[in-house]
Amino acid sequence: MAIIQAAISTSGDGGPATEAPRARRRQRVRPTKSARRLRWIGLLFAAPGLLLYAVVVLWPLVQSIQYSFYKWDGVSAATWVGFQNYIAFFTDPVLRSTLGNVVVLLVFFSILPIVLGLLSAALITRAKQPGMAIFRWIFFLPQVLTSVVIALLFKRMYAPEGPINEALRAFGLDALTKNWLGDFTWALPALGLIGTWVTFGFCMVLFISGVSSISPELFEAARMDGAGAVREFFTVTLPGLRGQIAVALTLTLTAALRTFDLVWITTRGGPGTSTLTPAVALYKAAFVNPNVGQAAAIGVVMAVLCLIIALAITRVSERE
Amino acid sequence: MKHKRYRAVLGAIVAAGVLMGTAACAPGGSAPKTSAPSNVSKDVAKAGNVTLALSDFWGSAEGDWINKLITGFEKKHPNVTIKRTQEDWGQLTSTLNLQLQDASGPCIASANNGWQSLGTLGKGNLVLNLDSYAKLYGWDDKVPSTIARQNQFSTDFSSIGDGSWFATPVARASLIGVYYNVAKLEELGIDVPKNLDDLEAAAAEIKAAGQVPFSYSGVDGNTAMLLGLQALYGNRDKLNDFIYDDPKVKAGDTGFTKAATTLKKWADDGWLTPNFEGIDYQTALADYVDGKGGVFRFEYTGSLGLSGDKLNEFGYLQLPQASGSKTVGVGAAPGAMVISAKCKYPDVAAAFLDYMMSDEASQTAVDLGLVPMLNKVALPDNARSLSGEAAGAAKLDSNDGYVPYFDWSSPTMLDTISQNLQLLLAGKTTPKDFTTAVDSDRDGFLAQLGS
Repeated sequence: MAIIQAAISTSGDGGPATEAPRARRRQRVRPTKSARRLRWIGLLFAAPGLLLYAVVVLWPLVQSIQYSFYKWDGVSAATWVGFQNYIAFFTDPVLRSTLGNVVVLLVFFSILPIVLGLLSAALITRAKQPGMAIFRWIFFLPQVLTSVVIALLFKRMYAPEGPINEALRAFGLDALTKNWLGDFTWALPALGLIGTWVTFGFCMVLFISGVSSISPELFEAARMDGAGAVREFFTVTLPGLRGQIAVALTLTLTAALRTFDLVWITTRGGPGTSTLTPAVALYKAAFVNPNVGQAAAIGVVMAVLCLIIALAITRVSERE
Repeated sequence: MKHKRYRAVLGAIVAAGVLMGTAACAPGGSAPKTSAPSNVSKDVAKAGNVTLALSDFWGSAEGDWINKLITGFEKKHPNVTIKRTQEDWGQLTSTLNLQLQDASGPCIASANNGWQSLGTLGKGNLVLNLDSYAKLYGWDDKVPSTIARQNQFSTDFSSIGDGSWFATPVARASLIGVYYNVAKLEELGIDVPKNLDDLEAAAAEIKAAGQVPFSYSGVDGNTAMLLGLQALYGNRDKLNDFIYDDPKVKAGDTGFTKAATTLKKWADDGWLTPNFEGIDYQTALADYVDGKGGVFRFEYTGSLGLSGDKLNEFGYLQLPQASGSKTVGVGAAPGAMVISAKCKYPDVAAAFLDYMMSDEASQTAVDLGLVPMLNKVALPDNARSLSGEAAGAAKLDSNDGYVPYFDWSSPTMLDTISQNLQLLLAGKTTPKDFTTAVDSDRDGFLAQLGS
């Protein structure tokens, strides 16, 4: 207790403003005993949180990495297989195809919503109309719905006799009607469009708030220089939204890489394996066909991929 | 500076963890091997007042069935209380291995047969070898061999389908057969088919009358039709041996190619529900029960969920084989009952397992509209589908004609079949290539078993 009080009082009064930098400089050369103790006290305060984090995040992470080097059914003794699970992920035709599928989903979950979001944000902020809040609210709604509800909803919409085909027929476009979720060519784009629908509103709201924080003088200046709407978008709006685009990219890309619920509820990876994603393959390996090592390897690869993407986006967006 | 220090500390912790984890101990313990308990007894009272935990995956009518059996057993043995936990099928089969490792976990549980569930549990020494109880209660005489095999493994778990009992069936069956819509057949003036030729002739007539012969769905995998057809073409012993992993028997010997060819032909002839590729299983099932989407339907018994008047609106056929007069059908108990290796009162648990195969258990099943197995029962006369199902089970009992579910042959077989079936019906694979894919799936699994 006494130590804690000492810590509080030291950090509380802060000392004279001029002394602090000098003290830090001295520390850098050779930390005094008390300063070193202080640092450990800080760690002590963080310990409960760190411990919890270690138990629920770090330890399972380490375990997953460990499992990924074994062939294990989840119950009986495991056998060491080295990198075989990783090799299988990239060489097994079905498992490898999940990577191709997820690239298609990336376009629908990330690129398309961001492009559409930018476009609608630019339009909305240019022409301020009454009732825009309601408009925004409607587009944001999918973000609030549970993914299971969304999946079930679209399963109905995509059914052979569902509203989408009915609508096509109503316009005499019978030739375009399809078994959307049962079609080898169309099932994946059909699933992707659900993702676009879900993330579009989110991107739009994010960009609208971003645009409103761009200084109005910049727009004014651009207009005075004779910039049209397109020019204004590319010279003012787009650069001003760099931070928001980075956030949107990070969130939507990682969401796309993790796509599970949508596929599991609608197609289970079918027809054939045309909509199988790494996350669905992971789930099947972990819980349906007991091959825990393979599941762990898929998980580790996807986690590393997510990390690389996030790092790359941060690097690029923060570059001056 | 500070950040670097923390990162270094954190890095060291993680690295140490990885090293410790990967080098020191492989995941998955090797629990002490369980041999069959030696001191077994039928005396339930001896255990004193005991409470046993039971986990199973049965809901609705099946749930009522197990509840009634628990009440019946507790009445017979007042010193026993059975505490039941019901979980949905997927939930229980995917977590049973964890539950059984827990000392306070269930004493009795319903597992899924085959390598995927029961085999894994046995290999991990999580369930008891029940041979001594089988001898004590005479299960070998009571249970048809084609059903008994479904619960047996060699003690080193190198083979399935013979050896020691690791689970028991129950006095109910889950079969694959053909349902028909009674009113529609009458309306079209078609007699109830007696064999596959009749069925195809009827289907052609139905199609000519502008109706749909077979209810089917394709979005989320539907194997009942393919496997039902396979049992009509395949040799009983070959089929059993294939599924029980005799490497000498290949999928081509089991009527698989023929079944796939027939199914594809039916689809090409427009005998299946239009747009089945885009229809999911639940929708097709509900439509069929509502009288839409087809006159016949290959289905697992119990899946239609018929009750009341509906029991009379549908009939059930267990067709004889395409050649010969024998009846072979896909069928098993709807669960493999296991006793946990950690159960403190295995004698009591075994008595309950035996009770689940008793006359009472069969009769309770019929009273609830479920398909009885193993015993003769009195059938109600106002339930056409149930009578058909019970007659089907009785025929399979007397022919010893059960074949297990095909997907027991390897843990990934269900996926392989579902995926290739979609490819087949879309014209992207041939029946022959489909059969090859099935073989390579199982052979891959067998190779792993051997290593």
